[in-house]
Amino acid sequence: MAKTTEKLKETVQKELEKMKIHIPESVVDKLVARIGRKKVSIKDLRNVLKEVAEKFAQHMIEPGEAVGIVTAQSIGEPGTQMTMRTFHYAGVAEMNVTLGLPRLIEIVDARKTPSTPMMEIHLLPKFRDDRKKVGKIASEIEITKIIDIAEVETDITNMQVIIKPDLKKIRKKEITMDNIKEKLLEKGYEIESNKSTISIKSEPSYRKLHALATEIKVMKIKGKDGVSRALIKKEPEGYVIYTEGSNFAKVLEIDGVDQTTTTTNNIYEIFEVLGIEAARNAIIDEASKTLQEQGLNVDIRHIMLVADLVTNKGTVESIGRHGVSGKKSSVLARAAFEITVNHLLNAGVVGEDEPLVGVTENIIVGQPISLGTGVVQLVYKPKR
Amino acid sequence: MILLEYTRFEKAAIIGTRALQIALGAPVLIKIPKNVIDPLKIAMLEFEKNIIPITVKRGET
Repeated sequence: MAKTTEKLKETVQKELEKMKIHIPESVVDKLVARIGRKKVSIKDLRNVLKEVAEKFAQHMIEPGEAVGIVTAQSIGEPGTQMTMRTFHYAGVAEMNVTLGLPRLIEIVDARKTPSTPMMEIHLLPKFRDDRKKVGKIASEIEITKIIDIAEVETDITNMQVIIKPDLKKIRKKEITMDNIKEKLLEKGYEIESNKSTISIKSEPSYRKLHALATEIKVMKIKGKDGVSRALIKKEPEGYVIYTEGSNFAKVLEIDGVDQTTTTTNNIYEIFEVLGIEAARNAIIDEASKTLQEQGLNVDIRHIMLVADLVTNKGTVESIGRHGVSGKKSSVLARAAFEITVNHLLNAGVVGEDEPLVGVTENIIVGQPISLGTGVVQLVYKPKR
Repeated sequence: MILLEYTRFEKAAIIGTRALQIALGAPVLIKIPKNVIDPLKIAMLEFEKNIIPITVKRGET
């Protein structure tokens, strides 16, 4: 089947060249996918291509259009309609997700960690239909502390901390006594153990004993840092693991995880692991998803513009004082945004240039702006 | 991809400039009906005939 689509794509491209029209490759791909296995005559194909090219030209934005303003309005107006209700149970049972306006603000502010980090872990075909294998992977992801699987007691007479693992819980998490001992030894604790308990000697001080006990309680035995919970849910394509908390890099390393479809809602993590283009796509996806969930339809190009603006320096920047608005090259544009006097004073001290190319600067100065009719440069054309 | 037609901004700028010229007394380049006296209307008619001696320079700023 892949062969037929490839062939179709080739013929489409050949036709396009013959007809001397240009359609972007992504549109060609979509068209090819739509046609699929249907038989289409060359004549019909030509007509379709012509129509597509026409529609595409119609939908292009003219140079000079004030897209930024239109975007601001198109996102801002639905934003006013978003409910302030923060928490919502979305899809997956009993999982808290930040949604709506707070989530949108998070995306736009480029926070390092969202208030409810989440991952959606897809698995390779070999694993995703086997509940046991999926459970094993999930237990490897979900963080397990000693307190989760054992009772931790302080023995004051002998000045030691005693760990009593709960055998049922241990078996469920696929942890053995040896695992726990190993981990404790790794951390440099002196341990003594018998069949069902492990005891750790402490220095002879009540305070130190207490500190040791708390330290032991929160010690990680298994799992990835930051992932507090993993839920397994059956989806049409197989089992999928949803997590509360996110550790994208570590999860991708696990055997059986499908790296191509696993995602997190932590955009900064995506940027660090997969790069800026992936971060751009993540911003677009997350923003349009949050808007969609609220029943608001915002054209994707508006969101794309925001994502482009925020990522075009090579890192994910926020919109606002510390990001896009605060890093504008023009003094007047910065001064127009916030802390006017400081910006002007600094610019004066340093001796900054003001080439007057942006919109804000020209409005301040009282010149025509470089948008719409203002960008058009007229020249005299003598009669032939 | 090069845009071959004028954008609506370019059209507005050309017609506007030409209308100003006509309003200031420039000779009209086409025959116009007697009842048309609005310089803007005249400029639009001229634009449709494609005889306004003004075009745009693109690609800068």
